Amino acid sequence: MERRKKWAAQLVPNLCMVFFSVIALFPLCWVFLTAFQPTDQGVSFVLPDILAKGFTLRNFERVSELIPLWQNFWNSVVVSVVGTVLTLFFCALAGYAFAKFQFPGRDMLFLLLLFTMVIPQEVCIVPLFVVMRRLGWIDSMLSLIIPRAATAVGIFYMRQYISQYPTEIIEQARIDGCREFSIFCRIVAPGITPALASWGAISLIARWNDFMLPMIFLRDPQKQTLMVAISQLPVSDGLSTPWPVVMAGIAIATVPLLAAFVVLQRYDIADLMAGSTKG
Amino acid sequence: MKQNCAPPGPARKGRRRNLAYPYLFIAPFYLLFLIFQLYPMIWSLVLSFYKWNGIGPQTFVGLKNYQRVLTDQMFWDSMVNTMWYLAANLIFILPLSVLLGQLLCTRAVKGRKLHKTVQILPYITSTAAAGLIFSMLFDTNIGVVNGMLSSLGLEPLPWLTSMELSKVPVMILSIWRNTPWYMLIVMSAILSVDANLYEAAVMDGANALQRMVNITLPSIRSVLLFSLINLTIDSARIFTEPYILTKGGPGSSSLSVVQYLYTTAFDSFQLGYASTIGYMLTLVLLVVSVGYFISLRRQSEE
Repeated sequence: MERRKKWAAQLVPNLCMVFFSVIALFPLCWVFLTAFQPTDQGVSFVLPDILAKGFTLRNFERVSELIPLWQNFWNSVVVSVVGTVLTLFFCALAGYAFAKFQFPGRDMLFLLLLFTMVIPQEVCIVPLFVVMRRLGWIDSMLSLIIPRAATAVGIFYMRQYISQYPTEIIEQARIDGCREFSIFCRIVAPGITPALASWGAISLIARWNDFMLPMIFLRDPQKQTLMVAISQLPVSDGLSTPWPVVMAGIAIATVPLLAAFVVLQRYDIADLMAGSTKG
Repeated sequence: MKQNCAPPGPARKGRRRNLAYPYLFIAPFYLLFLIFQLYPMIWSLVLSFYKWNGIGPQTFVGLKNYQRVLTDQMFWDSMVNTMWYLAANLIFILPLSVLLGQLLCTRAVKGRKLHKTVQILPYITSTAAAGLIFSMLFDTNIGVVNGMLSSLGLEPLPWLTSMELSKVPVMILSIWRNTPWYMLIVMSAILSVDANLYEAAVMDGANALQRMVNITLPSIRSVLLFSLINLTIDSARIFTEPYILTKGGPGSSSLSVVQYLYTTAFDSFQLGYASTIGYMLTLVLLVVSVGYFISLRRQSEE
């Protein structure tokens, strides 16, 4: 009896976990089961039929015929990478100021910063669009990179992390005659690499996957980011949705990030991300 | 604030050596905030009293936009739908993230690292891409979901094309894609609960459920509150899920508020009225936001 109970205590959580992992993977599996199917005979969703139908790379070619794929891919890379690097720099810099300096108005300014987090950006999307038009940033990647070069959440997180950084090291550097900005670049920044890595991962994911703002600000197909371009595939190829082609597009758009994440898993990005949200 | 006579040590942070530096370091954020948030917000408020198509002259219409929004059936449909999405997210995502977070912290579970990687994959997939995948899975004729239903001997259902069901795939997509994020937050909170408490509870013969109710949940209460409010605000802004899956239809059966705002502004070019819709959403969110603000402040003080 006792042994059976123990056995159940082992089995139930394992079964639950496997069940949820299957649910997490199920939709993603269909991307790959569909993307390599030939389109001409209709799509098949039964496993033996899929295997019998054979394997084609034609869908991937078709994607690049329907949208300027490599241009879109490049746009996404620039928006995500440049945006992430900028945001890391400015968020860490401001977080450092809030954590390690005392200056008049600091607490008030920090409260204001916290409050800006709760304003939904979508509410003022109309004037924001007009602002971008006046700046000439419609169809320019600047419209996505610059407004989020320093975000409230990022600064909040960096401040929490840098508060734990030993003040003595900074003081010592100051006594040694180090300039304020080089203290940040040479001493603080290398000391907070885990925070930079995790916030970098979060911000990269958010930017690569961003949808609403790129759709509004980037209208020219050549200027669009990959996610927006991919979302137009279902309607771009005639009457019935060419699912294998759409899934090929999705594979191109999502695999780089998924692969990077699985490879970087040995650095435990997930743990870093989990820790980052504690604050 | 003055620490001239403060003893040396960690308390003596930030001397008044050069006051300009900290302001210089935080200036970029406030500059961007002024140009891309505060200015558009004030302008949006002004615009909500005007009629404007984006190019022609702006006409002042007073409270007309607000009168119109109160009797606009489409707006109320979208508001009710958004509340449905919000409710579904709260009911499913929070308990699921506690359950998954706990499972990933349970020693008896084999291959936890692999499971954790798998669990996070939906979060790394973009909402837009996941939306396209789900619209294939839920397709009435060729979709896998209906395929599974018919192999169970059930009738196929018009998931994306009927007034009654169109909200369901949107909810499932939102839950599938957003649970991992909250799971990570909850998991890190569970990991920081004092392990001695559990050992003592096991000694006293408490079972897994009792340990969950009496130790884990009370210990992670503040993190759960944070997640609750964060999830509320995020869900109220839902856009991509219905936009990709159903385009808000059929009719307005799955339209969300932000989606209605988007169509009003960028498809029918009623920029003034779109601003009004935005401010109605803000009004609804204001109460929640204040709670969010207070809880964050308390956390930052801790």
